[in-house]
Amino acid sequence: MTTIDRDVSPPGDQRHPDQLHSDLNEIWGNPRGLKALTIVNHTTLGLRFMITGMVFFLIGGMLAMLVRTQLALPDQDFMTPDIYNQVTTMHGTVMMFLFAIPILEGLAIYMIPKMIGARDLVCPRLTSLGYWCYLFGGIIITFSLIIEMAPNSGWFMYTPLSSSEYSPGLGSDFWLLGITFVEISALSAGVELVVSILRTRTQGMALHKMPLFAWYILAMAMMIVLGFPPLILGSILLELERAAGMPFFDVAGGGDPILWQHLFWLFGHPEVYIIFLPAAGIVSTLIPVFAGRPIVGYGWVVFAIITTGFISFGLWVHHMFTVGIPQLAQAFFSAASMLVAVPTAIQVFVWLATLWLGKPKMKLPMLWIVGFLVIFVCGGLTGVMLALVPFNWQVHDTHFVVAHMHYVLVGGMFFPLIAGLYYWLPLFSGRMPSETLGKWGFWLTFIGFNTTFLIMHWTGLLGMPRRVYSYEPGMGWDITNLISSVGGFIMSAGIAMVLLDMALHFRFGKPAKTNPWHSDGLEWANRMPPSAYNFVSLPNIETRHPLWDDPELPRTIAEGQHGLAVATHGRREMWGTDPLTGKVREIIHLPGNSWWPLFAAMALAVVCLSLLTRLYPLAAIAVVIAVLFLLRWSWENGAHPKAAPDAQVAPGDPPLHSRTMDGPGLWAMSITMLANGSFFLSYLFGWFYLWTVSPGWRMPDESPLSLVGLLVAGGVLTLGAGILEKQVHGLRQKRDAGLAIGMFGISALGFVQVGITLWVLLSAELAVTESSHDAIIMVGLAYALLHGGLGAVLALLQGLRVGFGYVGAHAPFEPAVVAQLWRYNVATFWIIVGALAVLPRVIGS
Amino acid sequence: MRLSVQHLISTRRLISIQRLTQPWVNRLGIQLVLLATLMLSGCAGDKSILDPAGQAARDVVMIWWVMLGFGTVVLVMVTVLWLFTFKRKEVTRTPAEERRVARRWIIGGGILLPVASITALLAFGVPTGQRMLTLPLGEPPEVIEVIGHQWWWEVRYPGAEGGEVVTSNQLIMPAGEPVDFHVTGADVIHAFWVPRLGGKIDMVPGRVNKIRLEADEPAVFGAQCAEFCGAQHTQMQLYVEAVERDEYDAWLAARQENPLSSLATNDQQHEPAREAFMNHCASCHRVAGLSNGDEGPDLSDLGSRTSLGAGIMAMEEGAVTHWLQHHQQLKPGNKMPPHDDIDTATLASLGAWLETLTP
Repeated sequence: MTTIDRDVSPPGDQRHPDQLHSDLNEIWGNPRGLKALTIVNHTTLGLRFMITGMVFFLIGGMLAMLVRTQLALPDQDFMTPDIYNQVTTMHGTVMMFLFAIPILEGLAIYMIPKMIGARDLVCPRLTSLGYWCYLFGGIIITFSLIIEMAPNSGWFMYTPLSSSEYSPGLGSDFWLLGITFVEISALSAGVELVVSILRTRTQGMALHKMPLFAWYILAMAMMIVLGFPPLILGSILLELERAAGMPFFDVAGGGDPILWQHLFWLFGHPEVYIIFLPAAGIVSTLIPVFAGRPIVGYGWVVFAIITTGFISFGLWVHHMFTVGIPQLAQAFFSAASMLVAVPTAIQVFVWLATLWLGKPKMKLPMLWIVGFLVIFVCGGLTGVMLALVPFNWQVHDTHFVVAHMHYVLVGGMFFPLIAGLYYWLPLFSGRMPSETLGKWGFWLTFIGFNTTFLIMHWTGLLGMPRRVYSYEPGMGWDITNLISSVGGFIMSAGIAMVLLDMALHFRFGKPAKTNPWHSDGLEWANRMPPSAYNFVSLPNIETRHPLWDDPELPRTIAEGQHGLAVATHGRREMWGTDPLTGKVREIIHLPGNSWWPLFAAMALAVVCLSLLTRLYPLAAIAVVIAVLFLLRWSWENGAHPKAAPDAQVAPGDPPLHSRTMDGPGLWAMSITMLANGSFFLSYLFGWFYLWTVSPGWRMPDESPLSLVGLLVAGGVLTLGAGILEKQVHGLRQKRDAGLAIGMFGISALGFVQVGITLWVLLSAELAVTESSHDAIIMVGLAYALLHGGLGAVLALLQGLRVGFGYVGAHAPFEPAVVAQLWRYNVATFWIIVGALAVLPRVIGS
Repeated sequence: MRLSVQHLISTRRLISIQRLTQPWVNRLGIQLVLLATLMLSGCAGDKSILDPAGQAARDVVMIWWVMLGFGTVVLVMVTVLWLFTFKRKEVTRTPAEERRVARRWIIGGGILLPVASITALLAFGVPTGQRMLTLPLGEPPEVIEVIGHQWWWEVRYPGAEGGEVVTSNQLIMPAGEPVDFHVTGADVIHAFWVPRLGGKIDMVPGRVNKIRLEADEPAVFGAQCAEFCGAQHTQMQLYVEAVERDEYDAWLAARQENPLSSLATNDQQHEPAREAFMNHCASCHRVAGLSNGDEGPDLSDLGSRTSLGAGIMAMEEGAVTHWLQHHQQLKPGNKMPPHDDIDTATLASLGAWLETLTP
């Protein structure tokens, strides 16, 4: 690992700025027409995420208006009970999974490289895969509404209601398969953002100097990495129960419906902070700009962000206070749920202090920030109320919770989002938004929102439960529901006005000057709209306020006065830097436009649809095709002719990342293994939970798993991993003798391990449809098989690549990445053996 | 004010046969009158959390008002401070002074304020829930079992003198003493909730959850399923009647196996109806002395109940027949098969006979 201490790099190739621009555009430029489907550039993809998110927002909003229309008066029935239940379920599902997360992801994807002085995210093709998976998955789920087969068990799909006995038909399957498909996009964005923020910041930008927005997104991305896998596991288990009869949640088979709730909320609570943190990041970015001074407590805010992230993983049971959890556990989760108010309050008062010590101006984005404050603080306060268990027992599952939830989500996410969109609109388009139309939009939305949801707290206190398709008159709910429905229409008008304003400004907005809000943020050093490569040259940034400390930066960057202002080698390049200090370590070369992400997403869509329609042979074929596409994609890496066959760099420049052993690929694999680990920990939780708590659990006296078989398989796997470590160690010392043979040997050992594990699985003769014990063991062994197989295949490919000359002492980084997977496989394999085969033998049933 | 169940139901717009035949204008007029009445009563309502009829519910309401007051003060204060920063005249400060001001706001508002509030809330709030826990008492309280089905209530009295009493879609409890409810779900997760008496508890298949409720005085309370349980979650309602202890004991005694059996089998004139019942209904419904079906609600004392269909229809003359004829329109998707194969006369006689099952 080389760390290079550099001042502004000598321009070397002193070209005219326009020439530099067109050179860079040739390498980075976006194609038009059909080829636009191959774009991997983060600016375009970020915009696609945001626009698609807005479309889903409108769909979710229309569903809400259908609900409010039905509930405006008592005894209405223009929607039958089943349709109404589909509409409410889809409103929640679309808003949470297809709007809130993707649009904030999109903003982060767009903004982060520009804020940290990078030219793109670190895995551009992965960004593209994420977008297509989101689009296709979203279309599949939304399609279910058109055929009136949408899921109807509520957006959190509690079992047994959502299982095949009580929800026959495709509704639940649309949800389980479609949402898991969309989650690929969340996870890929999460991994990418973590690695990008840690390893691609521009030269000199130390961790404690990076913009606060980057801290918020780093926390959000880590939370996605750790928080989404429990739901993915839960969805897989429920789909297996529905499609194959494996009783994870069915009491008769030894399962427990409460397990679903734990897995769902282990995801569900961090989810709402995943939604809130980026929005708070927008607030922390805008307030200093409009107060004309730096934020007063940068360190406090970072502390608050990290604390929120941690605490949010320890709150999930507060959604389950009425389920029959032991009292001591309830007390813990109650106190923790209140405690999370502290880091939030710290942020609120940091913002207040910044405004207090500055000269705040009420421009349009700031108006939305004030709206955020009022609504979000109200929602936070009702949240603390809900954390008190006796009060929760009364208002849980009533409209009080519906009101609380909309206050924190709309106040805490939607208002800051609109503030941010108005603020960054000049960057997107080069034009300024209108103050007048914008103000009207704000007030209608603000008044409409509060009219709808403030009185809804009262409706809940008068006893109206959630998810009822109508209500009788005479309960005191009539007038409150009517007011809420009227408010809904006002709010719709306001939102329509806001969207109209934003759409119109692309045509009629006044052209914007450079840095129109006098911001300190590096993103404003871009052209407006930005060029595909963001910065002509990458500056050395050692301050938290780049454009305040050096207002000439936009000009000097565009003139090519800083680093990597060259395009002669034809590569897409940016700095790879040290995560703590920001010192340059390598030059990261990025792939250009590619069809592979689209093809892979299309194959995955076929998998999703064929599982949905129970055409399993087709699903199997589609899985194979998807894997082939993904592997083919991974082939075009490193020293491959299509990537960076020639490792030449300008004299004095650091090496290309693919010629080192610590490139972003290794980091991406490590972060992905964190996500995988979260999935695995959730699985272990499920195993131990069912074992200890499930009411009908039946464990055989003798474990069906052959301990000998597992020990041999584990030994073979460990042997393979050990050899791989030796190879990697050799590569570190530039030795690659016998690398190809070694890889093939490792791969063979991997396949042997898979074979033995498969034998253990088959010889156990698990009755997976009769016993949750057998079913959950099957899942664990299947996990081990899949990972072992993947490790073996990747080792095989490495051997082939050595043969082709793409991997060796001259390009050593790929084996290190594969070794990381093997380490993970070994660790999880032994844990599986311990938990599933050894512990039962030791403890007994 | 002591309300009888009939009075309560008749002032409400349940789907009863008379209502269905009245002209539209009449309905609107009644609605306006009801609206006016209820606006005046504000917090009151059959299912209103803010109209407690038991100590546990009263404790929660009190904590609610305190939390509301405090929350409003905090919200107003924070908003006013933020808005004030836009109007304030500029003050010049040294960096050290700035840091001091900032620290005061951040520590005072960001740490001390929430920590103090949370501590107070937990200290005063947690004990308010104690009453609802089923902790051991000197004298063991009455136990009532409630089992949630899609979309009806099975109610069992295991401690009744003379043997367990079973009924459906009605719940009588003794007033003025703590009662323990043991609940579970038969199919999906439901929740048992009597808002005026206390919190809700989920009815989860495979487990038995417990909650303790106490009604101050005899009265009728609205209750409903409070965990989304499918298509007719909305119409899974219940009337909970608290009565004096001796009335409760008498009610239980009248529903022992013997009195119920003779009630069902004595009257000769209803023999054809009984036969129809055995042919079409007995496999799912229990009537003491005749059948033991347990798919659908127990019907042994149907005539004495105040509502039908899990609280959605008032029990009046002809109501049972009306339900038998139109139940899929009244509660679409309910699990009783539509009786297109039975002629109207038979249904009418069934209805008439079931209405006589009044202990």
